[in-house]
Amino acid sequence: MEVTIKVFRYNPEKDKKPSYKAYKLEAVETDRVLDLLEKVKGYQDGTLSFRRSCAHGICGSDAMRINGMNRLACKTLVRDVGAKITVEPILGLRVIKDLIVDMKPFFDNYKKVMPWFINNDPAPEKERYQSPEARLRYDDTTKCILCACCTTSCPSFWGSDEYLGPAAFVSAHRFIFDDRDQAAGERLEIVNEVMGVSRCHTVFNCTMACPREIQITKAIGELKSALMTGKLD
Amino acid sequence: MGLKRNVGLVTGLRYQGRGPMLTFILHRIGGLGIVIFVATHMLSSFLGGPAGVFINTIYEHWAFQIFIFFCALFHAINGLRIVVLDLWPRLIEHQREAIWVEWAVFLPIYAIAVIVILSTALGG
Repeated sequence: MEVTIKVFRYNPEKDKKPSYKAYKLEAVETDRVLDLLEKVKGYQDGTLSFRRSCAHGICGSDAMRINGMNRLACKTLVRDVGAKITVEPILGLRVIKDLIVDMKPFFDNYKKVMPWFINNDPAPEKERYQSPEARLRYDDTTKCILCACCTTSCPSFWGSDEYLGPAAFVSAHRFIFDDRDQAAGERLEIVNEVMGVSRCHTVFNCTMACPREIQITKAIGELKSALMTGKLD
Repeated sequence: MGLKRNVGLVTGLRYQGRGPMLTFILHRIGGLGIVIFVATHMLSSFLGGPAGVFINTIYEHWAFQIFIFFCALFHAINGLRIVVLDLWPRLIEHQREAIWVEWAVFLPIYAIAVIVILSTALGG
C-alpha cells in the first residue's frame, strides 16, 4: 500500500516558521511509523531529524504526535493510523529541530519529586524484604519509561511547564506507596504545592496517551486521596 | 534557537484526546456560559431602565436559554463525575463507562428541557 506521511519540519538555522512536508512511500500494514520515518530519512530526505534508540517501546525516545495524539512511533503500526499519517512534535516543550524537543523542563520536574529510593535505616545484610502484596501496591507506576507522552498531552502542562505533570506524579506514586521508602511525607508535600496535583483537571489525556498503559489518572487520584485523608491505603 | 514552547488554543483543541478531552472542553465552555448568564443577570438588575430591559430580552430569549441550560446541566453532571472519580480513585479504571453514563444522564434531561423551552417559546 502507498502511504503519505506528512511531517512537521523546522530547521532553526534556515526557517523562520515551521512547515509540513509530505512524503509518499510504500509500506505494509504492519510497518511501524518509526519504520516510515527511517525510510524517509534513509532514502528520501536525510535532513529529517527525530529521536530514536531501542525502537522497541522501552527507551521512550520517539514520543511524537501521530495523527494528533501522543504515541511512540515504534509502537504505532500503519494499520492503527491509516494511510494518511501526520507526525508532529509533542506539545509544551521547545522544538529544537523537526521532531526533536527540549526535554529539560520535563526532567527538571521529574527530579523535583525525588525519584530515588530513600531509607536511612542501616542496610540489611542481603536485601530489604517486601511482601508480594506490598509490591503489587505500586506495580503499575513502576512501568514508566519517561517518554513524556503523558505530560505533553496534559492541558495544564501546555499552560505552564512549571506544572510537575503526570510523569512526575507517576514517579512520586511509585516511591510514596513503596512501604520500604521513608520519604513519603516529603514527596506528598512536593506534589501538594501550587504546581502539583491540584492542577490536574482529570482530563485523562495522560492515561489515553501512555504507551505502557499505566493508569496515570488513577495514580494521581490516589495521591490526591492520600493528601486529603493523610493515609496511604 | 528553536521554537517557543507556547501551545495555542487551536493547537490544544486539535489534540485528539477523544471523549474525555471533549468533556474537558465542554466543561470549560459550560463554566464560561454560566459566568455570562450570571453577569448579564446582574447587569440587567444593576442598570435597570431600558438598558436592563434590553439585556433581559437577551437572556430570556429561547435560544439563549437553550445554550445556558446546556452549559449549566453539562457543567453540573460532568462536575459530579469528576468529584466521584476524585473521591474514589479506584473507580477511575471505569472512566470510559463513567463518560457514557454521563451522556446517558445528560442527553434525555437536556432533550426534555429543549422541548419544554421550545414549546413554551414557540407554541404560543
